[in-house]
Amino acid sequence: MSTDSIVECNNVYMTSDRGEPIFEDVNLKLTAGRSVVISGAAGSGKTTLVEMILGLRFPDSGSVELFGHCLRPRPRRLLKRIRRRIGGVGGVFDLVPRLTVAENVMFPLVLASERRRVCHERLMKMLVEFKLLKQASLYPRHLTRVEYTLAQFARASIANQPLMIIDEPSAGLDPDTYERVFEYLVRVSLSGRSMIILTSQAETGRLPQSDYLRIENGCLA
Amino acid sequence: MRLLWHTVKELFRNLIGHSGTTISSLMSLTLLFLLFDLFWIAAGTSERFYSRLLSDLEMELFLKPATAESAALALHDSLKVIDGVRTVEFVSAAQARERLAELVGTDLLAGYDSANPLPASYLLTFEEHSLTTAAVTAIEARVSQFENVDQVFYGRRWLSKAEETRAIILSLGMILGGLILLAALIGSANNIRLMTQTRAVGFYQMQILGAGKLFLAAPFLMEGLLISGLSGAAGWAAILWVRSRISFTRFEPVLPEPSEIALFIAAVAVIGLISGYLGIRRMLK
Repeated sequence: MSTDSIVECNNVYMTSDRGEPIFEDVNLKLTAGRSVVISGAAGSGKTTLVEMILGLRFPDSGSVELFGHCLRPRPRRLLKRIRRRIGGVGGVFDLVPRLTVAENVMFPLVLASERRRVCHERLMKMLVEFKLLKQASLYPRHLTRVEYTLAQFARASIANQPLMIIDEPSAGLDPDTYERVFEYLVRVSLSGRSMIILTSQAETGRLPQSDYLRIENGCLA
Repeated sequence: MRLLWHTVKELFRNLIGHSGTTISSLMSLTLLFLLFDLFWIAAGTSERFYSRLLSDLEMELFLKPATAESAALALHDSLKVIDGVRTVEFVSAAQARERLAELVGTDLLAGYDSANPLPASYLLTFEEHSLTTAAVTAIEARVSQFENVDQVFYGRRWLSKAEETRAIILSLGMILGGLILLAALIGSANNIRLMTQTRAVGFYQMQILGAGKLFLAAPFLMEGLLISGLSGAAGWAAILWVRSRISFTRFEPVLPEPSEIALFIAAVAVIGLISGYLGIRRMLK
């Protein structure tokens, strides 16, 4: 167990509820400061991989380690601590419907019990960065698809968590916005934060300090 | 601090966002607790009524006709030291005759001017803690052993019936009170469960982001505590207001002490807290 290990999947085997194999001997190692872009067709198991990393699902055999801790259903406190160190966009990382954009973006800081002044400073920074100032007091149901995705990015970035998971970064974004987001991803990648980017598109552009893998037939290669 | 602020904000968002549920919760719980309060007052009032009734209980000890006055008077001290006996009154044969004359008139006693067939007696009354069948029977057994005591009389059946009635009222009060509190618990828990179900998606999202059980549950626990506590207080406020407007002439209702009312409000607030937990428990699994 290396100290700079962010994610480590060893010989993961997993079947669906119907008994069909989703992963067959999946191995993945992500160290601090590195990122990985995983591409694969729809239904290839990308979202299941995210769910596994978040401790929402567990493999039938093999192990998944996050930040040096082996994921298990119990104790829940460990899962809670691990999840707080992950920022996410897309897929399972929806915004909380009852909270405004500002509250959603600030949520990771609230969980971290950050001070009010720090929360507001970082919130303003994120709202400016993702051009969401006008939408700050709106609820997620009032946002356009682009604004929604940008709000997710802002939330995933505000607490500078060591790992960011992005499920389909281009989904719902127009080319201009995607370009802006991609520039942001490059900056994140260079900042030393690790990312797992899952995409169904073969071409995503090259990110620095990143590995490119493809998920196919339950294997990662 | 941020967590507390978030919890308070969520609490008021719940209360205001679901104002219909909040108002119906408040009203139904207030009515339930009001019913409980009324039972409490009724139980207290009937308890005092029976206490007063029982405190009138007297035991008559008839002395043997041959008992000398000096021996009869000597018995006084022996009776006085019996545990549970409050007062001891000696009634001589002459006094007994006078009392009988007062009750039935002198005509019926004509011809008994020189001969008084009535025996001397002692009248005993009891301490409050001894006004039970068991205690009075024990005292009866004790006084019957005295040499000069011929017969012992008291309202044996009346005492046991009064005791039974008291026990029935107490049991009924406890059962009804328990049912009312259970209804409050279930009603409040169901309201909170309904509210949490409308927020299932948000809960899931917060859990994915690392929100713990307490973080998610705290606003609902506070809601249960607040609504239940307010309802408990509202019930008593209504009763005290009505009490200040109405005067009773035939009987005086017995209201609990302010400290007991405060304790009751605290207890129903805790019931609300428990109902909050029961309401959200399933969502946290």
